Amino acid sequence: MPDTHFYHYDKYDRTLLSERVEQFRDQVRRRLAGELTEEQFKPLRLTNGLYLQLHAYMLRIAIPYGTLSSRQLRQLAAIARKYDKGYGHFTTRQNLQLNWIRLEDAPDAVAMLAEVDMHSIQTSGNVVRNTTADHFAGAAADEIEDPRVWCEIVRQWSTLHPEFSFLPRKFKIAITGSPNDRAAVRIHDVGLRLWRNEQGETGFEVIVGGGLGRTPMIGKTVRAFLPKDEMLAYLEAVLRVYNRYGRRDNLFKARIKILVHEIGIEKMREEVEAEYAAIKDSALKLDPQTIEAIAAHFAPPPLPHRPAISGEVERLKLEEPDFALWLKSNTAPHKLAGYRIVTASLKPAGAPPGDASSVQMEGVADIADAYSQSEVRVSHEQNLVLPHVAVEDLPAVYRALAGLGFAEANVGKITDIIACPGLDYCALANARSIPVAQRISNHFANLARQHDIGDLKVKISGCINACGHHHVGHIGILGVDKNGVELYQISLGGDVDFGKTALGDIIGPAVAADRIVEAVDALVRTYLDRREEGERFVDAYRRIGVEPFKESVYAAV
Amino acid sequence: MPLYREGSLQPVDATGPAPLPLEEWLKAPMQAVSLANTDQPDALSMRLSRLKLVVLHFPKFTDGRAYSQARLLRGRMGYRGELRATGAVLRDQLPFLLRCGFDSFESDQPGFGVALARARSLFSVVYQGAEDNRATVALLRLRQHRQPAELAAD
Amino acid sequence: MAKNLSGDLTVASANRLADGVVVFLDDKGHWTRHLEQAALARDKRASELLLARARAESFSVVDPFLVAVAEDEQGDLEPISLREKIRVSGLTFEAIAADAVRYA
Repeated sequence: MPDTHFYHYDKYDRTLLSERVEQFRDQVRRRLAGELTEEQFKPLRLTNGLYLQLHAYMLRIAIPYGTLSSRQLRQLAAIARKYDKGYGHFTTRQNLQLNWIRLEDAPDAVAMLAEVDMHSIQTSGNVVRNTTADHFAGAAADEIEDPRVWCEIVRQWSTLHPEFSFLPRKFKIAITGSPNDRAAVRIHDVGLRLWRNEQGETGFEVIVGGGLGRTPMIGKTVRAFLPKDEMLAYLEAVLRVYNRYGRRDNLFKARIKILVHEIGIEKMREEVEAEYAAIKDSALKLDPQTIEAIAAHFAPPPLPHRPAISGEVERLKLEEPDFALWLKSNTAPHKLAGYRIVTASLKPAGAPPGDASSVQMEGVADIADAYSQSEVRVSHEQNLVLPHVAVEDLPAVYRALAGLGFAEANVGKITDIIACPGLDYCALANARSIPVAQRISNHFANLARQHDIGDLKVKISGCINACGHHHVGHIGILGVDKNGVELYQISLGGDVDFGKTALGDIIGPAVAADRIVEAVDALVRTYLDRREEGERFVDAYRRIGVEPFKESVYAAV
Repeated sequence: MPLYREGSLQPVDATGPAPLPLEEWLKAPMQAVSLANTDQPDALSMRLSRLKLVVLHFPKFTDGRAYSQARLLRGRMGYRGELRATGAVLRDQLPFLLRCGFDSFESDQPGFGVALARARSLFSVVYQGAEDNRATVALLRLRQHRQPAELAAD
Repeated sequence: MAKNLSGDLTVASANRLADGVVVFLDDKGHWTRHLEQAALARDKRASELLLARARAESFSVVDPFLVAVAEDEQGDLEPISLREKIRVSGLTFEAIAADAVRYA
């Protein structure tokens, strides 16, 4: 029996992975020997997830559909300890970044990944990137179907695709199987949303041309309902149209969203459907047995019946207010009544968002072994998730997470900040992100106050590339560089929830780095003064508009 | 630029008529044509069976449009003549080029011929169907599923 | 606070190929991790020559470039831009590795 309840590699997957490691080892050897120039080598290292950042190489490791076994998480911890400084950064795209890798060690590091069926293939470069999914997949109470089955099919199809390895620009796909979209499908190059039509069949809504970055756009529906077995044919059609007609004259206009914007969604649909019609009955059509075989890997773990109500939980709720808050914000409904989905917050007050040390990773792996079927998820909000925790075990899990510093009851609250690595690490950044996140986090550390403020998503990017998703933050913060000084532009009203996806509006001139806490505080005070019963920050903003917020911010800074 | 074909470690001599740019070829359709990577492969369909050589361009090795042109020519249109990659053609592209149906290569890179001889053995398994007609992993798994006894003896 | 009186002070920097570490070109044409050992160009012409030398010595490093610096009365150098300051001095916050000890 495999030790996982998600896709486990067979001899074919393992063979390809080890051959890829050897190919990369040879490429690194040729680069160090001077046989390859940096220009020739760069795309090769990037498609193996290796960047050159400010201080060192950075290795971006894919965590396909955000799902990890405890064994894999332990191996990540071991790699971070052996080849890095003993910590890593979980990103918004279900990847783990190690910030201090040596080029000389990179082939050995990826060989160590391959030992646990993991890789860094196509985590960068102008290729199809790691396909992301709802981090609650397979456990969520509201799920129609597990999207990871389809992510895995996309992973295999997109890995070393001979036609699509030199696209105009990167290509990101996200898949969700729930009406409450936790995968942000409308801000991806392609978003796939599983839904059930009136005939009771499930299929995909295909959304194309979303994305953040320099020119943020919300994706448009190119196909309302696609039969599931035609997914690869349709994706191949989209990619072929993009590969042939996407702009290559200007790096900033090369994403598929610009193509969709320039030719219009109708023309895009026409091109894609014509290409699709020519290939839909080819070998790309998925054999039912293939789908079934991959779906079988994702069969839910055999969870024993456990009581839905626990006396211990009820008692602790009364005795420990922080535990009661944690239950509210950091646990979510599981499809079985006796279980909850637990989010381990990687945002303790004042910590760099999304960072975990090797010790902490191993600690989470131990908790997963004891209480969550040895399984861990990575969310696009840069937290870790224990997907199958029995209600009765919640107090023990809470204490164990608290021991690691990961039990902060702040999921979805103002200190659950998304932040990119920013100018401290990143060669592209204009301003720092992490220190800004730390100051806001420290300022709002009081948990009772955070819960009073309620759901509020703060997202910080250190440059226009928007790795911190600032466009879709309820409060978005973008670092800019003005004559060598870091300033921060504030936007309000962004959202990624399905059906409500919106880009934030910039409120006015950028704010100085040392006034950003005051600015956020002013925004929060305005909301608290003006909110109606049960109204979230972003809803209050929609009702009363930007003016009151603007006034208070510029009075405070 | 040195020309390589599988089967030879050293560059080979280019033989046959010189390829014409598409515009000239349309006026006088000879046996060899050279497409810009923005040209439509469809433009060759009328006289495809007469063509012995189609040259596709990589203005930069990071510009991958010719991979799609190659697959359309081979897979969709059924072109069986020589398909040549020219421009910025580097050895690390070879696994992709071969899979898309290219069978001759112009490259300045030292060691290209040796790399070409080894390129097909770099990856013994492939996930997706392409123009080299290799059995995909999905197909191998289906076969294994359907004939477990046969494969057990394998 | 460092002052840059002459206006055009530069050093040549790069990341070392084998490990990505930040390095500077010294007067002998070697790459050093120490900014204080970096060869200093004091005008535009010298900067151009320095960059040309850095490129000629770039076998073991990646993409050399010039960094504008300021010099104080003691002759200590400091990059002018925040980005380059961070490249020299490292992270501006305490990385979580320190926390790992606390939680261990």
